[in-house]
Amino acid sequence: MPRASATDPRAEIESHRPYLVRYALAQLRDAELAEEAVQEALVAALESIDGFDKRSTLRTWLTSILRFKVIDIQRRIVAERQRLPYDEAGAAAEHEAWLDEMFDETGHWRSPPQAWNDPEAALEQARFWEVFERCLARLPATGGRVFFKREVLGEDTPVICRDEGITDSNCWVILHRARILLRMCLEQHWFGTEASDAR
Amino acid sequence: MPAEIEDLNCRRASFLLSLACERPLSADEVRALKAHLDECLMCTNFEQQLRFLHDCSKKFRTGT
Repeated sequence: MPRASATDPRAEIESHRPYLVRYALAQLRDAELAEEAVQEALVAALESIDGFDKRSTLRTWLTSILRFKVIDIQRRIVAERQRLPYDEAGAAAEHEAWLDEMFDETGHWRSPPQAWNDPEAALEQARFWEVFERCLARLPATGGRVFFKREVLGEDTPVICRDEGITDSNCWVILHRARILLRMCLEQHWFGTEASDAR
Repeated sequence: MPAEIEDLNCRRASFLLSLACERPLSADEVRALKAHLDECLMCTNFEQQLRFLHDCSKKFRTGT
């Protein structure tokens, strides 16, 4: 993950912005509101940076501040309108069909998963985390949001499905699809390249 | 054993691997999946990559 000089808290906090926007987007489903929440959280964080006691990571601390900003905005939204519009309700029916792009008519992989060389080592590389973030950002909106809640935040699947207003089986297909896309992206931009061997 | 999981293709096997992250698989599903993985290196790779994505995402949450 990108790291800035320890002497410049503003730059160091700023380096976590893409993650925080993704977090806010997963909760709020609205780019503008997500930006607003993150902006408020970053300002609050800068003001209280002396309160960061380093018992947690900076990201965890920033996320805890952001969580409150998100809840504030959610309360406001609920007051303004009854329910957030569901942006991709019509897409749900096509999810099974989407898997046709990943598998041929006999059910074989079109893009077969290769063996990855020393994946654990990638976790120590700052460049890998940039690739990971870019690949996450490329996921389709619903897939990216559901994957983020499930795998990054570790929320329970039934809760996520309920919040998204989709059935369990659609939720499972969405997650499966997101994992395949993410896998392909990492293979294409990290594990499949000579660069990953050279590191 | 239901016919649809008796003889898995990669599409179905990979879905079960992903599904196992959401709910426990039935005994039939586990048996059929094991039989497929014994023969299929691609899905075995996918299984390892799912585990990696899981660990990786958890680490992404806290940052470094």
